[in-house]
Amino acid sequence: MADAKKLAEQLKKLNELRGPVPQELRDRVAAQNKAQKAILDALKEGPKTAPELAAAAGLPEDRALWYLVGLRKYGKISDVAGRGDYPKYELKAGEAK
Amino acid sequence: MRELEKIEVDTLVVGSGIAGLQAALDLADQGYSVAIVEKAPSIGGKMISLSKVFPTLDCASCITTPRMASVSHHPRIKTLTYSTVDAIKREGKTFTASVTRKPRYIDEKECISCKRCEEVCPVYLPDEYEQGLGAKKTISIPFTNAIPQLPVMHPEHCIRCGACARACPKDCIEFLQEPAPVEIKAKAVILATGYETTPMTAKKQYGLGKLPNVISPMAAERLLAPHGPYGRVLRPSDGMVPGSIAYVQCAGSRDKSIGVPYCSRVCCMYAIKQAILLSGSLPIADITIYYMDIRAFGKGYEQFYNNARAMGINFVKAKVARITEDEKHNPILRIERQEGDSAPAEVKHELVVLSQGLLPGCDVSKFNLGAGLNDFGFVQLSDETVSSAVTAGAGVFAAGVVKGPRDIPDSVVDAGSAAMEAASYIRKL
Repeated sequence: MADAKKLAEQLKKLNELRGPVPQELRDRVAAQNKAQKAILDALKEGPKTAPELAAAAGLPEDRALWYLVGLRKYGKISDVAGRGDYPKYELKAGEAK
Repeated sequence: MRELEKIEVDTLVVGSGIAGLQAALDLADQGYSVAIVEKAPSIGGKMISLSKVFPTLDCASCITTPRMASVSHHPRIKTLTYSTVDAIKREGKTFTASVTRKPRYIDEKECISCKRCEEVCPVYLPDEYEQGLGAKKTISIPFTNAIPQLPVMHPEHCIRCGACARACPKDCIEFLQEPAPVEIKAKAVILATGYETTPMTAKKQYGLGKLPNVISPMAAERLLAPHGPYGRVLRPSDGMVPGSIAYVQCAGSRDKSIGVPYCSRVCCMYAIKQAILLSGSLPIADITIYYMDIRAFGKGYEQFYNNARAMGINFVKAKVARITEDEKHNPILRIERQEGDSAPAEVKHELVVLSQGLLPGCDVSKFNLGAGLNDFGFVQLSDETVSSAVTAGAGVFAAGVVKGPRDIPDSVVDAGSAAMEAASYIRKL
């Protein structure tokens, strides 16, 4: 693990070199966190499809799908087996409950 | 800048796609030392991201990964990834290449590829390996079977929270890392810089990349790959399983209006291959290929095409004039049939793949090595009837698509020929 003091120094120097973290990036990460939380919250009610999650989280459908696949890749949610035009997703056991 | 690293080898190979890998291996196995330089964070080129290959339907990574592993472990091959060749100078009988190792912002020697930095990183961004369909983190290992298994940090997406550094058990995050210069001296150079597909923005009639369900063939490869972004075939606009899929052939070649009048040689076959794979994963889907003419010229290709027809894939001889979409993002193709009733018609599909052509991956004329280019930016051979690798520049050889569009078997054969020509050139020095 990094030494806390050394890390703080590195990050401080980085801020001096590159200037502050751009507001645009901060806004993007804030929007990401909000969207992911909304998706995970909606999934607490049970398995849902991408358009259902988009509606619940107030996101465009393609954005909802992109967030979904990110959460799926990093192990927060998983596919529900079954047929149908729109596959369903569910919370992975132990995640965000 | 870090301290200058000096490497001296017999041959420099630029590019580590299947052609570069094969050329490097063939040379190293004959006893020559090789340095292979790759701009991406992993070796493997385009081929490692493909699902399967035509006409055998062998899994692409099953063919590529053993070669990637052999190259990275070979005692006579030095692999430089995430590095750019900035210049190559000819000095008498040797070449001196100036290479820059781009910073990964980690200590490459200490990293144990545990992925803890990636797990804790809070920022998601589009994963270019998945053609933007999937997500990755600001610090992440490029893909599952990447070699080397080292994460790359993208500082422009970093919020400097320090989570990665706190999670790293080896203390190897280096936020302040700088590019490192490398000097490579070699007796011969093999150019294997491959291709890029014609961009989605090439043709305004096809939506300029703004229609979410009109995708590139590389994106379709990822949809079909077992570890692809969705884990199954879905369309990007809403995650629906597409019931009707169309391929638009010659969407990036044989088209003077976009400056690509040549045939890209692989699009007919990859479209047929993807259509066969799609009908395997989506048995009830309608799959249509709109084509000018099908060019199935290699060994077993005609049979592959006939098999696709027999499987029920629709081949429609028609030119697609325009693609628009309805309110549900279903692409609408305006087509003119070339057979039978030739009246224009509008056809709706749920997912469309543009069969893009191949453009040169790199303008190698910037290296000034004496190797000429043809009108389209591909390397010209000095005499194609004598050798498939010798260029007009002494000691400069070409392998794979850098010479013009060709498929994987041809690229592999070519690479062997480039290695042989380079070896014989070095022996005579």
